[in-house]
Amino acid sequence: MTKSHTLMVSPDAPPVQRNWWAYVIILIICVFNFLPYLYVVMTGFMDATTSNRPEPQWFFTPTLEAFRFLLFDKNLMHNFRNSLVVSLSATFLSVTLGMFCAYAIARFDFGGRDDVSFWVLTNRMMPPVAVLIPIFVTFQTLRLLDTLTGLIILYTAMQLPFVVWMLTGYFRDIPRRYEESAMVDGDTWFQAFRKVTLPLMMPSITATAIFVMILSWNEYVFALFLTSTGARTMPPAIVAYSIGANISWNVLGAAVVLITAPLILFVLIVQRQLISGLSQGTLRK
Amino acid sequence: MADLLIRDLVKRFGGFTAVDGVDISVGDGEFVFLLGPSGCGKTTTLRMIAGLEMPTGGRIEIGGRNVTYLRPRYRNVGMVFQDYGLYAHMTVFGNIAYPLKVRRMSRDVIAQKVRAVAQTMRIVDVLDRMPDQLAAGQLQRVAIARMLVRDADIFLMDEPMSHLDAQLRGHMRAELRHIQKEIGTTTIFVTHDQLEAMTMADRIIVMNDGKMLQFATPLEIFERPADEFVATFVGEPQMNVMNATLRRGEGGLVADVGAFVVPLDADWTRANALGDQEGKEVRLGIRPEHIRLAAVADALRPVEVELYSFEPTGPENIFVLRTGDVELTTRNPTAETVALARDEGSPMAIGFDPRWIYLFDAQTGRTIAQAAASVSEEELAA
Ligand SMILES: Nc1ncnc2c1ncn2[C@@H]1O[C@H](COP(=O)(O)OP(=O)(O)O)[C@@H](O)[C@H]1O
Ligand SMILES: [Mg+2]
Repeated sequence: MTKSHTLMVSPDAPPVQRNWWAYVIILIICVFNFLPYLYVVMTGFMDATTSNRPEPQWFFTPTLEAFRFLLFDKNLMHNFRNSLVVSLSATFLSVTLGMFCAYAIARFDFGGRDDVSFWVLTNRMMPPVAVLIPIFVTFQTLRLLDTLTGLIILYTAMQLPFVVWMLTGYFRDIPRRYEESAMVDGDTWFQAFRKVTLPLMMPSITATAIFVMILSWNEYVFALFLTSTGARTMPPAIVAYSIGANISWNVLGAAVVLITAPLILFVLIVQRQLISGLSQGTLRK
Repeated sequence: MADLLIRDLVKRFGGFTAVDGVDISVGDGEFVFLLGPSGCGKTTTLRMIAGLEMPTGGRIEIGGRNVTYLRPRYRNVGMVFQDYGLYAHMTVFGNIAYPLKVRRMSRDVIAQKVRAVAQTMRIVDVLDRMPDQLAAGQLQRVAIARMLVRDADIFLMDEPMSHLDAQLRGHMRAELRHIQKEIGTTTIFVTHDQLEAMTMADRIIVMNDGKMLQFATPLEIFERPADEFVATFVGEPQMNVMNATLRRGEGGLVADVGAFVVPLDADWTRANALGDQEGKEVRLGIRPEHIRLAAVADALRPVEVELYSFEPTGPENIFVLRTGDVELTTRNPTAETVALARDEGSPMAIGFDPRWIYLFDAQTGRTIAQAAASVSEEELAA
């Protein structure tokens, strides 16, 4: 064994990397992942009869019938607006509050700090369904049922632990030196935080915000139980419109397009930020 | 510009005392070094002067103003951090301008001041770059420029040269010393490198285990160390220190090292009242350059030793020698030792220069007797 190793001689040229097979595997996975989505999108452009045929339909005349039904008959724009307001507000609130919590946990040595950060984490362990009834009753008492405010408060609370947990790690990665340097240079603690730490944190904060945004945008269970018409967001609305006595596949397809298109657009626009934010800390030495 | 007064400064982290009773008074414009091994509390002391760490006890005055528990921004000190502390998201210009922007100076004044200091530090051509595009030496200069750009009362520098390679460090030593004297701002410089401190300082504070051991000029620290720790910490190679017993020999008091006997200077023993200390266990110290070396024993070099290792450095030759359980290092000009044997195990002979022998207390390490030929500051001044 060792003998054969010592007998080996260097080849004349450096070895060429041959990893085309990795691309093939990735391509196969992508096709498998993407096909169902593609078919759902196609369904959205079919008419009701075509979409309800049991065998797959690859060729058909596209129609906007389902979109018309959702947007004009059912006024889905109303739900779209609700979703937008709720997820943007909840994202803004949870990221802003969570940022300060995370900063405190990362930077200050206060009594019970470890307990606090553990408690924050355990909040995520509980299955949401377990608190559905208590929250419903609470909302009823506080007259928050079917209000945007109620959903915003709830989503903010739900996302906070995640935000705090993510950002604490990122804050720890930023050396304290930066703030100390700024404070010696004449800044207050808050100025140092705003002008030095925050700009360095921006990619991480953006990435976290995108995650929170997606989670809030797609939230279904609480939205279903806590809203009826006024504050109903997209996910429960779409299910209600497309799944009745029997499933209208074309409506469901159109709904999927309407609910995911904004997200996909959004992520495409900010994906640079997202990737650099998520890999931050590991890339830096 | 201001003087700095520190009284009985103490810092505890929980039960651990990191700084234990630092007591100094630094004059206006002085270049003072905090020297000590890693973990001895130098950085902590500096951070307390900057206001980044609040003292557990004691008092700090800058220019006669009590700043002990003031926040950093009210102290008007400039600081260079060990890892530079530059802002990665700003250009070099932005970094240097930052302390001025904080002070809401006008754009023109800022640009002019930054240019001026960039010229001094010779970094004009990198002003538009980001810090991660710079080499260590340049980063160093930028960090120092950011400190210089303000009219701070006191400059604080925490091991600013530890990331530079040896050659660059040599350049920076001369340059920094020159700039400090030119600007004339009181500066406290932290380092664990005794050469840095010896070559640049007006005065050196030697610390160990959070305690201040000596505060004096480099020459005084070198020639009249307050204790064994200071004596062995400065000087390269280290001072030789060995256990010895004082006893009466032929021709007066001698120090018995075990393997050999070191005769002591009669005037010196009298001046240090060693005569009545017969039988006392002490530590005997002598610097490598004060050991005479020859191939064969004679009156001045009576002790026979064996060569353990030979280390030529160019201008000087270092010999590590052994006899019995004593190991000694000598350092002599190459010209004087060129004819000596260099093979391990060769027999050689040594003798101690009696004017350069130190005695330390075996228990406390305090210096009992400074070398006879050493000159104290007071004597120099007189
Ligand atoms: N924030 C802190 N908490 C606890 N111990 C500390 C803290 N800062 C420093 N120390 C301890 O104080 C001692 C002195 O540290 P430091 O001043 O950084 O040493 P030096 O700069 O001389 O290497 C070290 O033992 C270090 O572990
Ligand atoms: Mg240090």
